[in-house]
Amino acid sequence: MKHWIGICVLILTILAISFVVAANINVLLPSTNVRTLAEIYLKYTYYPWDKYFTAMSPEACTSIVWDFRGLDTVFETMVFYLAIIGAIALARGVPLKPPKEIKGEPGLSLIVKTVTKIAPVLIIAVAGSIALHGHLTPGGGFQGGATAAVAPVLILVVFSQFYLLKRGVNKNSMLLLRSIGLTGIGITAFAAVLIGLATGHYAFVLQNQPKPLAPNISLPAFVGGQLISGSLWFFNFFEFLAVAAGFTIVFLLITLPEKLAETKEEKRAAEGGEK
Amino acid sequence: MSYGEAFLLGITALAAIFSTIATYMAIMERDLLKAVIFSAIQSTIYAFIYYMLMAPDIDLVYIPVAVGLYPAVIIALIKKTTREEKP
Amino acid sequence: MITLSEYFMTILITCMIVNLGLALYGVFFKPNLIKKIIALTILGDTANTFALIIGYRMWVAGVPSRPPVFTEWRSNNPLLLLVFTKTAVDPLPQALVLTAIVIGLAVILFLVFLTLQAWKIYRSVDMRDIRKLKG
Repeated sequence: MKHWIGICVLILTILAISFVVAANINVLLPSTNVRTLAEIYLKYTYYPWDKYFTAMSPEACTSIVWDFRGLDTVFETMVFYLAIIGAIALARGVPLKPPKEIKGEPGLSLIVKTVTKIAPVLIIAVAGSIALHGHLTPGGGFQGGATAAVAPVLILVVFSQFYLLKRGVNKNSMLLLRSIGLTGIGITAFAAVLIGLATGHYAFVLQNQPKPLAPNISLPAFVGGQLISGSLWFFNFFEFLAVAAGFTIVFLLITLPEKLAETKEEKRAAEGGEK
Repeated sequence: MSYGEAFLLGITALAAIFSTIATYMAIMERDLLKAVIFSAIQSTIYAFIYYMLMAPDIDLVYIPVAVGLYPAVIIALIKKTTREEKP
Repeated sequence: MITLSEYFMTILITCMIVNLGLALYGVFFKPNLIKKIIALTILGDTANTFALIIGYRMWVAGVPSRPPVFTEWRSNNPLLLLVFTKTAVDPLPQALVLTAIVIGLAVILFLVFLTLQAWKIYRSVDMRDIRKLKG
């Protein structure tokens, strides 16, 4: 390969500089103690002896994302939503309809198709499992949604886009699924407030367990002996729906055949040339 | 001296050196398809580094996003535009 | 003298700095738009790795560090919780990097659609050609 001199010089430089830096400067390395804020989060992520500070979930990262810093995640979901709206706006006006007759056999060969028929079912099952147990072990809504988005890519590449369009997986149905997911997230964020309005007590937005100024309202941490950590399970489920549907829309739009989009462009170019 | 920690950090350092090689090849390669494949190799090595740094939540996000979604979208883009980069 | 763990950790940090430099070079000095997008993904991932390295905890007295998942929660034992807080890795950078990966993904997807639009209008993804067309 033609870059091997550059690579060898790079590796030797890295090893030499690391030796010099490690001998002189020690403050840049991570230490054996974490910061005080991290110790507080690690202590109170599952602390059943003081119900006012805990999130009742043994998974520290998920409890920070959806309970301790839930507002950050709401804004992140909004940024992702705006990006998908921007992508849909750039591809508007192009009809996503399958043609009346398809010449030949679209997609890859028969062997690939037979093997790929098993894979998307497995992928979506594993993705659902990752999303739903995100409050007990590493996982969560966004992890499951990103994994579930690999299945439509596989189907789009091996079979063709018309296979999905014929079975009802088009832009409008995925937009409906995404809207259901985002509405679910909104309702779960306001769930404690709605319960508080109905029973006449104080409650906060994005509240999971009872808080010092709102000690009467809490979403249940245990249901029938199983730990569901209040609002965390519902957040994970709705985020899984929203993320998987959003990615499917992006892939449907980016694998659009150029012939469907060319006709309108050519029409406009022809009209512009005649003027 | 803790030999267990030195061994695990040694594997991490070796993986970091391989990731630098993959990044160099991805930036300097002129065929765009090979550059995307090198970028996917670099993402796989980063996923291994995230596992050694004890971050399983991020690992589960990073593997489908950087190894599955980015190469799929960029390869669809390459198919519609050009494949070779002009010097 | 230096210990082996410190040397390996410094190699990791130096490799990440070199990756950052290479990705910045790719974004600024390569005129092809698709190469810029590839370099931008590498840049975002390397910045996230820096945040995770800051949140790592080196081993304390021979006890290995563990991820921030409290697996013995059914036992309701406060002593196990104390051992967990003394040996687990910082969970806050992991939550922030999760948000950063999602936002980076949204930006890259939008840039890909803009590149497709530039190809439809100018029939070229090379910045030098687009500059000549004064577009």
